[in-house]
Amino acid sequence: MAAAGHDDGVVTVGRSRIGTIFANTGGILFALVMIFPVYWVLNTALKPRDEVMSFKPYFIPAHPTLDNFTSAIKAENFLSGLVNGLAITAMAVTAALVIGFLAALAIARFNFYGRRAIIMIILCVQLVPLLALLIPLFLMLQGWHLTNSLVGVALVYLVLLLPYTVWTLRGFIAGIPKELDEAAMIDGCTRAQVFWRIILPLTGPGLVATAVYGFIQAWNEFIIINTLNSPDKQNLMAWLLQNQTERGTAWGPLMAGAIITSLPVVIFFLSIQRNIATGLTAGAVKG
Amino acid sequence: MLGWPLYRMIVLSFQNMRLRELLTGLTPSWVGFEQYQKALTDSAFWGVVGRTAAFTVVSVTVSVLSGLAVALLMRRVHRRVRLAMMVAMMFVWALPQLVAAQAFVWLTDSDFGVLNYLIDKIPGVDYANHSWFVNPWQGWTLITVLVVWAGVPFLAISLSAGLTQVPKELLEAATVDGATAWQALRNITLPILKPLLTIVTTLSVIWNFGLFTQTWVFRAGHPEPYYQTLSTYSYTQAFGQARYSYGSAIAVITVLLMLGVMVFYIRQMFKIGEVD
Repeated sequence: MAAAGHDDGVVTVGRSRIGTIFANTGGILFALVMIFPVYWVLNTALKPRDEVMSFKPYFIPAHPTLDNFTSAIKAENFLSGLVNGLAITAMAVTAALVIGFLAALAIARFNFYGRRAIIMIILCVQLVPLLALLIPLFLMLQGWHLTNSLVGVALVYLVLLLPYTVWTLRGFIAGIPKELDEAAMIDGCTRAQVFWRIILPLTGPGLVATAVYGFIQAWNEFIIINTLNSPDKQNLMAWLLQNQTERGTAWGPLMAGAIITSLPVVIFFLSIQRNIATGLTAGAVKG
Repeated sequence: MLGWPLYRMIVLSFQNMRLRELLTGLTPSWVGFEQYQKALTDSAFWGVVGRTAAFTVVSVTVSVLSGLAVALLMRRVHRRVRLAMMVAMMFVWALPQLVAAQAFVWLTDSDFGVLNYLIDKIPGVDYANHSWFVNPWQGWTLITVLVVWAGVPFLAISLSAGLTQVPKELLEAATVDGATAWQALRNITLPILKPLLTIVTTLSVIWNFGLFTQTWVFRAGHPEPYYQTLSTYSYTQAFGQARYSYGSAIAVITVLLMLGVMVFYIRQMFKIGEVD
């Protein structure tokens, strides 16, 4: 946030030295407590089995090893989970971007009857937990013989992604001045040309951010795919869920698998963090 | 496309869809409000509603207050400490919900968990092999800690961005005029922060009200009755017991209960839009 400059915008009048020391200590402690579970995942993944299953925990691995990662990758359904997850995510995100972009364009650029109602529906559906919709979606897929198929799950994820996609893209399109369209049309552009030459290039960054966010959502999902599909047609998150058993979970390989599964999400998330924060709180309605 | 599943859910809640209808493809019979009647007269259902509401109130209060405290702390600390806090929170925020929950299951493992080991170190306390989910109060405390831990980054980072909007001159003038830190917070900072606080609080309510992943993972897919909340209850009724209509009715009630909170969020979003 306020990365630039030293303590810019921070009040310094009337602050005691001891208070500052307290605050700094508190801040460091907070950071350590927050990061500890994340560190522990990493720590567990790097330890051999006897150090993981030790009554006296090893806070630093005594004999670091990558064995857990190889046994996770070799485990049943891990690689198929990776491929399935990528395929489902790609289908859902692509479809959500195409449909969402057109819908967002309509809402942002054209005035039509019921436009405000559609905005309300999108906002509401975005807030309805998808789990509530899972029952009818499951029965619909069952009717179309699309349970236990990658396409069926991709369809459900499309429903999951669409509200957010439309909402964010609408914000980006609304940010392009209408005068730009009009100027282009006066200069002889058709509506289609306005779309290809002005709106699409200018929403490029928005499309990338939305796609990344969609990827994270679809990649992280596990309840729906676990309900609809058999283990060989699931993704990595569901794989993690199934490898946690009530007794005798192999925590080393599980945590290694968790790191592999989380890695793309963490990288993507850190790259678009700014957009997510503002998207949730400031995607305000214009007009 | 978005409205259709919603419509189907409502239709379903007025029917009686069981496993037989699912397998044969027969149209389920219409039963009117029977599913709703069944839910609303069932004490188990009201227990679930009460539990969900209590959890939401407690977890949102703790999360928002912690988030605000962390945001205020971030304005006070050294630049490097602030950076460390930001980095730690970013990683927590980025972590998938399922992975975070599994990490907590492992941390609180009764035999090899670090938490029991550390608590056991306190003199006079025996926490070796302590199981956290036997006593529902302890189990719920753990679930709340996990939810707050995962929720604080979003809250603290959003609120600290909001705090940069508070004019420095105003706070300095107040301090010079002899206002205490508490007075400055109450009378200057909080009123300016209010629109943002409304949005992040309603979002937290919506998210925590739909609690699913955390209990699901902690209880390995079989939450005991005293760990059921509305979403897990609806799910287990529908997919565990093949009572699809009953599950839908519960989902509809859940959405209706949330609607009250959602109105706040939507109104605030529109309000900000009009100001822009």
